[in-house]
Amino acid sequence: MAEIIIDHVTKRFGALAAVDDIDMSFADGEVACLLGPSGCGKTTLMRMLAGLEQPTSGRILFGGKDVTRLPPGKRNVGMVFQYPVMYPTLSVSENLNLPMKYDKSVSPAERQRRVDEVLDVLDMRPMARAFIEDLDIGSRQKVAIGRAVARQSEIVLFDEPTTNMGVNAKLQLIHAFKQVTRRLRQTIVYVTHDQTEAMTLADKIALMKDGKILQYDGPHVLYSQPSTAFGGWFMGNPGMNFIPATRQTGGIASPILAQPLPAPSHLPQGEITIGIRPERVEMSAEPGPGSVPGVLVDQAVGIAGRYLTTVRVDGAKVKVNTAGAPPVGLGDTVHLSVPHARVILFVDGNRVAG
Amino acid sequence: MTRLRATLYYGILWLISLCFFAPIGWIVLSSFKTQNEILAMPPKLLFSPTFDNYRALFANDGIFKQIANSVFLSLGAVIVAVVVSFLAAFCFSRFKPRGTDFLMFLLLSIRMLPGPAVILPVFLMYVAFGWKDSHLWLLLFYAMFSIPFSVWILKGFLDGVSTRYDETGLVNGGSWMHIIFKVVLPQVRPGLIAAFIFNLIFVWNEYLFNFIIGGVNTQNIPYALMVGTYSDGGLNWTFISAMTSIYMVLPIVFIFIFQKYLLVGMTFGTVRGEV
Repeated sequence: MAEIIIDHVTKRFGALAAVDDIDMSFADGEVACLLGPSGCGKTTLMRMLAGLEQPTSGRILFGGKDVTRLPPGKRNVGMVFQYPVMYPTLSVSENLNLPMKYDKSVSPAERQRRVDEVLDVLDMRPMARAFIEDLDIGSRQKVAIGRAVARQSEIVLFDEPTTNMGVNAKLQLIHAFKQVTRRLRQTIVYVTHDQTEAMTLADKIALMKDGKILQYDGPHVLYSQPSTAFGGWFMGNPGMNFIPATRQTGGIASPILAQPLPAPSHLPQGEITIGIRPERVEMSAEPGPGSVPGVLVDQAVGIAGRYLTTVRVDGAKVKVNTAGAPPVGLGDTVHLSVPHARVILFVDGNRVAG
Repeated sequence: MTRLRATLYYGILWLISLCFFAPIGWIVLSSFKTQNEILAMPPKLLFSPTFDNYRALFANDGIFKQIANSVFLSLGAVIVAVVVSFLAAFCFSRFKPRGTDFLMFLLLSIRMLPGPAVILPVFLMYVAFGWKDSHLWLLLFYAMFSIPFSVWILKGFLDGVSTRYDETGLVNGGSWMHIIFKVVLPQVRPGLIAAFIFNLIFVWNEYLFNFIIGGVNTQNIPYALMVGTYSDGGLNWTFISAMTSIYMVLPIVFIFIFQKYLLVGMTFGTVRGEV
């Protein structure tokens, strides 16, 4: 059992708190992604888990054992780095074998069995005798994954392993990663700034910003119910629309809402915005019930052949993501309707309803 | 046309090389001549070689000890210096202890100091502690003089080795010893060899301190050359030529063996690749 508990961990570099009082846990056998923009502290948090950095305060526990002061070699974690580093003069299987050689508790036969197992899982059997120098970066990274899991440590850490790879190598690596995690139920923490990767790989995603964890949830909860405006903006391509709203007697009014939204019973004070995903906004050429008129100001073809348009509604810009081409040309009037059920209400950047 | 130009270039290069090589050729040839042949005008290029000079040189028992001293002192001092410097440079490069920059400057300042400036205090110290005429203490003195330069050159190389090697090693269960000697050391081999050769040449040529804080037991080849040159009243050319020819052998052998590393080393690690 290797549950990871992060107990009020803070890491300061001078005045900057790279990791700011994080208190959470990753369950045993779970694939957790640390997702966030550059400089949010996700790599620092991971390096503390690996033992490459010491927390300024707080404790880290693996399976109930306090490892805060243990050196990296004694923590029994595997780690895959951004850059795969291997012994270039050794073959693939020798590289997989080497870290275990220094572990007296593993017999040579057992080592060979583990190496073979990893080679099978990674589908790298034919390359076992190849030298690292002859492999491309994607294959090297696969070997690095193999090395990290071959030791059968209960925790494996991944630090943006696909950052330096081409698209094809990246897909191969993600495929390999999936196979490995399916076969070997290790607790995995995966750091990435790529939301697609996080959505694909993770059981749960921890969204980080400015050294804090904003939300720790399953990928779909994180996407459809972001707890903060930042989460809504960061997830999705493009991110959520945020439109200013005001408190009125009839409820919450906004330029893009034909009818005011019923206000929740206890709405805190503060600046109100409503959030709506671009793909949830409906667009048509003719006015319909609950629609508001706007001017189509920009359009582009987005991911997977979907159309991405920007519509100006009464001073607010709304991004709309539709399957078909927009019904009118640039500069013409369209009618947008926003289903109330899909609207999320934020006060000062925090979700209060929806 | 280009062929002609290439031939011209090579011709000039050969000419320059020969100019530089001429004194060495002269001294080596002279070591096989008699005193009269050495001083003959014009110089004799055709002569019947004689080994009398070497025979005379080795007839003196002291010479073997002086050569042995030179080899022992220079190799010993340089090995001590390179080992110490490598570990020190690794520490400076990786752990960056407080005041690293100041310490590095301090090390360099030792190098800026001309040797003769510290002769008196060093002499007094060696006399007071009874270290004079001792192989060990002379060796350590030379090591001390070689360390600053070695630390500088090796820190440059070590800074060029990414810490991701260390981190991968650490996480995969390697000890620091494993990382220092098995992972990082092979990558800075050119730096180690450059430091080794430069310091070897320095200690091999060292005369002043051997004369002052050494003694009868620790005499090296430069000392022997200095004393032997005037031993028979005038300049003893046969002795000089034979002794010098032997004197040159060790540096030439080492430079020949390690020449491919030397270019990288002499550019102080500026020519280096990552990953």
